[in-house]
Amino acid sequence: MAPDRPFLTVAEAAELIAARRLSPVELTETYLARIAALDDQLNSFVTVTAERARRDARKAEAEIMTSGPRGPLHGIPYSLKDIFDVAGVRTTAQSRLLASNVAVEDSACAAKLETAGAILLGKNATWEFAHGGPSWDVLFPPARNPWNTDHSPAGSSSGSAAAVAAGLAAMSLGTDTGGSIRSPAAACGIAGLKPTYGRVSRRGILPNCFSHDHAGPLAWTSRDLALIMTVIAGHDQRDPGSAAREVPDYIAALTGNVEGLVIGVPGRWLEDELPPSPATRAAFDAALGVFSALGAVVREISLPSIREYHAAIRVIAVSELFAIHAEDLRARPEMFGQSLRYRIIAGGLVRAEEYLLAQRARTDLARAMQDALAKVDVIMLPTSEPAERLQPVHPASLFTPSYTSPFSVAGNPALSVCNGFNEAGLPFSLQIVGRLFDEATVLRAGDAYERATPWRQRRPALRSPAAREPRASPETSTA
Amino acid sequence: MDEQQLSREDILSMARLAGLHLPASYEDELVEAYDHVRRLVALLPQPRLRGDEPAHVFDPVAFDPTTG
Repeated sequence: MAPDRPFLTVAEAAELIAARRLSPVELTETYLARIAALDDQLNSFVTVTAERARRDARKAEAEIMTSGPRGPLHGIPYSLKDIFDVAGVRTTAQSRLLASNVAVEDSACAAKLETAGAILLGKNATWEFAHGGPSWDVLFPPARNPWNTDHSPAGSSSGSAAAVAAGLAAMSLGTDTGGSIRSPAAACGIAGLKPTYGRVSRRGILPNCFSHDHAGPLAWTSRDLALIMTVIAGHDQRDPGSAAREVPDYIAALTGNVEGLVIGVPGRWLEDELPPSPATRAAFDAALGVFSALGAVVREISLPSIREYHAAIRVIAVSELFAIHAEDLRARPEMFGQSLRYRIIAGGLVRAEEYLLAQRARTDLARAMQDALAKVDVIMLPTSEPAERLQPVHPASLFTPSYTSPFSVAGNPALSVCNGFNEAGLPFSLQIVGRLFDEATVLRAGDAYERATPWRQRRPALRSPAAREPRASPETSTA
Repeated sequence: MDEQQLSREDILSMARLAGLHLPASYEDELVEAYDHVRRLVALLPQPRLRGDEPAHVFDPVAFDPTTG
């Protein structure tokens, strides 16, 4: 049985729209009504483009009724992390510096979704410039996790993940520099893909760290991500990091068959360097058991220290972030939230020699990752621990290693899918990493796992305004 | 310069040379944050051989209008 309308997957909604059993206008109104009724619990949207959405939905519906859908995203309502430009709509990056910044041109991704007939509902909360957060001293409050609003949706594509998980949008686009699509997808129990570096254009997206920035989709399932990637992937001459590589048929890759798939597990990371909690480890082992039952083969692999990957990305990121924000840091540092300022200000003291040392380390580390992936089809490990409580955290927390950043350093495609729930009802997460430009295998594995497990049947239960009690403890500023 | 011996004043002086004339209330966070960065730099493999892979490879194809 299909879920309620706001919790339809993109694939389910597309099928109903194509069969003219679901109206894009009614679907859009459903999401707008839920945003109005429920988003004060989540803060997942910072801008709602309701009139634009209604206009585009009417246009899509008329066209579909006359000549059928242009493709599977025609008439599908979506949202964008608030660092993607949309002409005529403000792009704030959650920063007081950009409170009045209105874009004059669509980002490449927004333009492609517009051409596909998708319907923009609005822009989602992020961390400040996709790097500093969660923060209470920036333009908007941080987003909350729909599985438990006292918990964090992680970052930095926080609002994108929270909105999809809460049934406030069918899909969203985010960005991932060190884990910012995968970690929020993990915390919110949905699917999120960081494609290969260069696979999706970053043109018209505010930068975080040029050399590691990726754009990608968040939605309920791997199949949904494949549908979105079919639209947004491809070369863009105006993004110097864009890769001129053919885009395969991602949907055709979703065979449900993983027999013979060779899975590599980075044993040293999980046993010695950064062991997960027992519950997360148990969920991960259970997921490997599902793959084994489906005919996959699990092997341990060896990779360089996770700390080296972490050091390389952090030294590069702090340097590039400082370069991007140097003028404002020098002239008006008080306009930044404390979290972002702490995380980037020391970049002004990094020497060129040290930046180049980090870039050289990145080259070695990326090669080592590809060597490991020459022996296996995919690497698997947890994406992160279940969502933490939403509260001020010391900004230095970003200076500790994660399971996500090594694959940003190496540029490989990396998917996060839900692999269960803990005793508190918060999602566990499984990360599936593939060879460069082989999103198809990553999505095939994620889709096969989702088909074989019951986790996609569960949805968070947000209470309507009448059924709510006031939140007990108001947040304090970190400033 | 022996970086292990950098004092708070050394770090603040480096910041001023970088054009950061920060309010006193931000000095502590700069000194603390820079300590994290120095620890990360120390984790990077070094020294490197002179002929090691250059960190940046300029790819003219990315800028060639005929390859769009």
